[in-house]
Amino acid sequence: MVLLSMILVPVIAAPFAYLAEKISKDLPKYISLAVSFFLALCTTYLVVKYPGSGFAFEEFYPIYPPLDFNLHLAVDGISLVLLVITSFLAITVTLSSWNVEKSGAYFFLILLFLGPMVGVFVSLNLLWFFIFWEFTLVPMFFHIGIWGAENRIYAAMKFFIYTHLASVFLLLGIVVLFLNTHTFDFLNLAGVSLDTSVAKLVWILMFIGFAVKMPIVPFHTWLPDAHVQAPSPISVFLAGLLLKMGAYGLLRWELFVLPEESKFFAPLMAFIAVLTIFYAGFRALAEDHIKRMVAYSSINHMGFVLLGLSVLTASGISAAIYEMVGHALIISLLFMVAGYIHHKTHTWYISELGGLMKKIPVLMTMFVIGVLAAVGLPGTAGFVGELTVMVSAFEYYGWIMIIVPLASALSAGFFMWMLQRAVFGPLKDSFKGLSSLKELSLIENIPLAMYILAFILVGIVPSVVFDVYNLSVDTLSQLFK
Amino acid sequence: MNINFLAGVLILALTGAFLPVINRIFKISGILGSIISSVGYILAGFLICLSQDSGKILVEFFTTDAVSRFIGFLILIASWMTMLVIYWVLQKNRFVNELIASLLISTAGALLLISSTNFVSLIIAMELMAMPTYLMVLFSFDDKSLEAGVKYFFSSALAIGVMLFGVSLLYAITGSFNFEVLANNLFKDPLILLAAIFILAGFGFKLTVFPFHFWGPDVYDGACPGVVALLTGISKSAAFIALMRVIYEALPAISNNLTFIFALLAAITMTVGNLLALAQKRVSRILAYSSVAHTGYTLIAFAALSVPLSVTGIVYHSVAYIFMKTAAFLCFAVFLYVWGARTMDDYKGLGKREPILAALFLIFLLSLAGVPPMAGFISKVFVFAAAVDAGMVWLALIGLLNSAFSVAYYIWIAKQMYLEEPTLKEPINNLSSKKFIVIPLSIMAVILIVLGIFINPVLDVSRDFLLKVGL
Repeated sequence: MVLLSMILVPVIAAPFAYLAEKISKDLPKYISLAVSFFLALCTTYLVVKYPGSGFAFEEFYPIYPPLDFNLHLAVDGISLVLLVITSFLAITVTLSSWNVEKSGAYFFLILLFLGPMVGVFVSLNLLWFFIFWEFTLVPMFFHIGIWGAENRIYAAMKFFIYTHLASVFLLLGIVVLFLNTHTFDFLNLAGVSLDTSVAKLVWILMFIGFAVKMPIVPFHTWLPDAHVQAPSPISVFLAGLLLKMGAYGLLRWELFVLPEESKFFAPLMAFIAVLTIFYAGFRALAEDHIKRMVAYSSINHMGFVLLGLSVLTASGISAAIYEMVGHALIISLLFMVAGYIHHKTHTWYISELGGLMKKIPVLMTMFVIGVLAAVGLPGTAGFVGELTVMVSAFEYYGWIMIIVPLASALSAGFFMWMLQRAVFGPLKDSFKGLSSLKELSLIENIPLAMYILAFILVGIVPSVVFDVYNLSVDTLSQLFK
Repeated sequence: MNINFLAGVLILALTGAFLPVINRIFKISGILGSIISSVGYILAGFLICLSQDSGKILVEFFTTDAVSRFIGFLILIASWMTMLVIYWVLQKNRFVNELIASLLISTAGALLLISSTNFVSLIIAMELMAMPTYLMVLFSFDDKSLEAGVKYFFSSALAIGVMLFGVSLLYAITGSFNFEVLANNLFKDPLILLAAIFILAGFGFKLTVFPFHFWGPDVYDGACPGVVALLTGISKSAAFIALMRVIYEALPAISNNLTFIFALLAAITMTVGNLLALAQKRVSRILAYSSVAHTGYTLIAFAALSVPLSVTGIVYHSVAYIFMKTAAFLCFAVFLYVWGARTMDDYKGLGKREPILAALFLIFLLSLAGVPPMAGFISKVFVFAAAVDAGMVWLALIGLLNSAFSVAYYIWIAKQMYLEEPTLKEPINNLSSKKFIVIPLSIMAVILIVLGIFINPVLDVSRDFLLKVGL
């Protein structure tokens, strides 16, 4: 019942949050916070009780067994890590949205998003996975469209249509897969043998669906728009959870279900990954809009995730999952701070910023820490993630992967250049009398501090993350042997 | 036909027939009228539930099986909800009882249509379903109603004529109108294919299949939206089920020859429907063209008629379609009546003005767009799965891409409702019963979500049908 309640409680609480606004403007956020803590509590329970390997806490609700359409929920180490991230981000996003307007509808959508989000990570039934996957779009669409910046409507429409179109390919892949295997269940699908041409077709169809969500070049164009227009807490959900859905789907439903085809397409994945890393790096370098730059750096990191996955060894997959965790924590901080910078200075453009360290040192220090983590400073999650990905890619593909560290240098380049222009140096004249340019309140600082503590913790003691899923990855990666 | 089923249909029709009479004698109010009709619906619903598979009466003409019982019951619910909304919206209109009477009789026709196993009864039932709707479309709503009604009448008459020609060809070959006799006596013959094409053309008119779809949007735009809810939701679904019976029960001999025709029609119909829907400004026309597109999706399932999944696809899509299209048009009707909202611009900010109605409308739009967990999603999955299973991946892909593109205009309406600032200041009509209108619409929304998750009832029904036709 734990997993089902983690899906249902947010969804059921959602209408109450909406109605609660009529009683008090503050009530919705407390409901959201309570549900987030409930998720965190459940996740803690799962982590503590998790036996260490295989699927645990299985729940099975038959809906239509003849077609294998059943709500089959379970967690292994991989889902567990993502559940931890989900509940962690749920708390921080609720705290970051403390003073949001139209709070009833806002938290209604947050909760409506969280339920299916958990569902994506715990569903072992492919059709239910897709149902949850697709439903997350609806709340996200309204979040971007209602609370976003000036071009929010364009971004929301583009986001919905683009990602829905991608899902169509995924759905077709699922249908073809089902008709050839007559099962939606992961336990039956893992390592299933299919006719080669069919399997390749399925692989490509599903890959398009996951690639758009991740997103990787050339399917990434929806992301910068969505990020730039979305309110910062929603950007956190976008980067921290929605993109992870793509990577998780690729891992769970492609690599483990079609290992032979994954092996066949691995070089292609690696190529796209490297392309993504470099393309996003160069785009970020050219970007003057601070949030757009962070968005491109996010694509850059997802390139690393894909590279790790393409290695198809236990170490590569572990590294990719670790990179997902690190990315979720670091990029969330960067998006939040970028949003605050705009809020305080009323500009998005790096060229118009300067010397912010002098006026808001606490916020900027946190920003600098986040940037350092993003470029891979040892002692933070960014370092461990990129390093392990690069090492495993190097082991598998050999010397050709020597180019990847260059991309790291590239990302260090654009981030440092941004810091130099926006944060350090003399304070711009236009900011001198700006009354809004002051430090954050305590409640706004809490989520930022939580991100920093989290990525430093997992950076110094990476084993807290690795240990959760190592055995699961080991077992599943036997498929590639 | 089972006696209980027939009794249910008759009670419904008689309620409809006597409603205007009661009104003339006692001058009943809208509320009383809705109570009387509701009694008719409830009795009919009970009797249909009680009916069994074995039939005693009119066995030549009608059958009572799982499909007719299940779809019949859902049609009754949808029609009942439509009745309630129409009453509450048009309660002051002096002809509202006559309008509702037509609705009841037309619904009775739809119930007969889905259980017809003979071309004579099929055509009679189809006309029983259609005749009252001519009246309903003509029902003075605005200047366009007359044009719409005439257009509808002529195209429908033409459809029946064409279909009768095809049927008479079949009769000339076999000497029977009965589906079972036809199925046993038909063999591959060019003449039979010709007859089948004429029959299909007749259905094509009724179902707004390309190239017979032109009347659809004009009529849907011109008629009273509550009536359109019946026209596009209930009667179309009934016609789909009737077509399914014709294909599987009467024409199995040549069904393989029809595959490609259906596939072609499906591809063109949905593409045309979606492209034209994208170009529309008026919401009623968008919904009308989306209804054309949905006909296309259902035709995909017909194209896959060699595999068992196709029946599931047809039945499921009809089931979902009854509720999502009917309810969407009813929402439109309420918005039109209360706010005078016709065009996309009028829909700006309606989410603020009518939070609950807009939210319900959103659910129906998402279901039409095929977003899970609504029934519209799972029905599309079955339709496309049928196509893939029948080896037509290309058709499934066209369908899926169409479905993805269609999201653009559905989400555009959602965008207008929720993301834009309101343009309409004042409601043009104050509806005292607005609180109640939400009830029938909510019921339909709940049914859509429940059928989107619990797929058993529909699959059991389609399995029964498959057993019956021996697929």
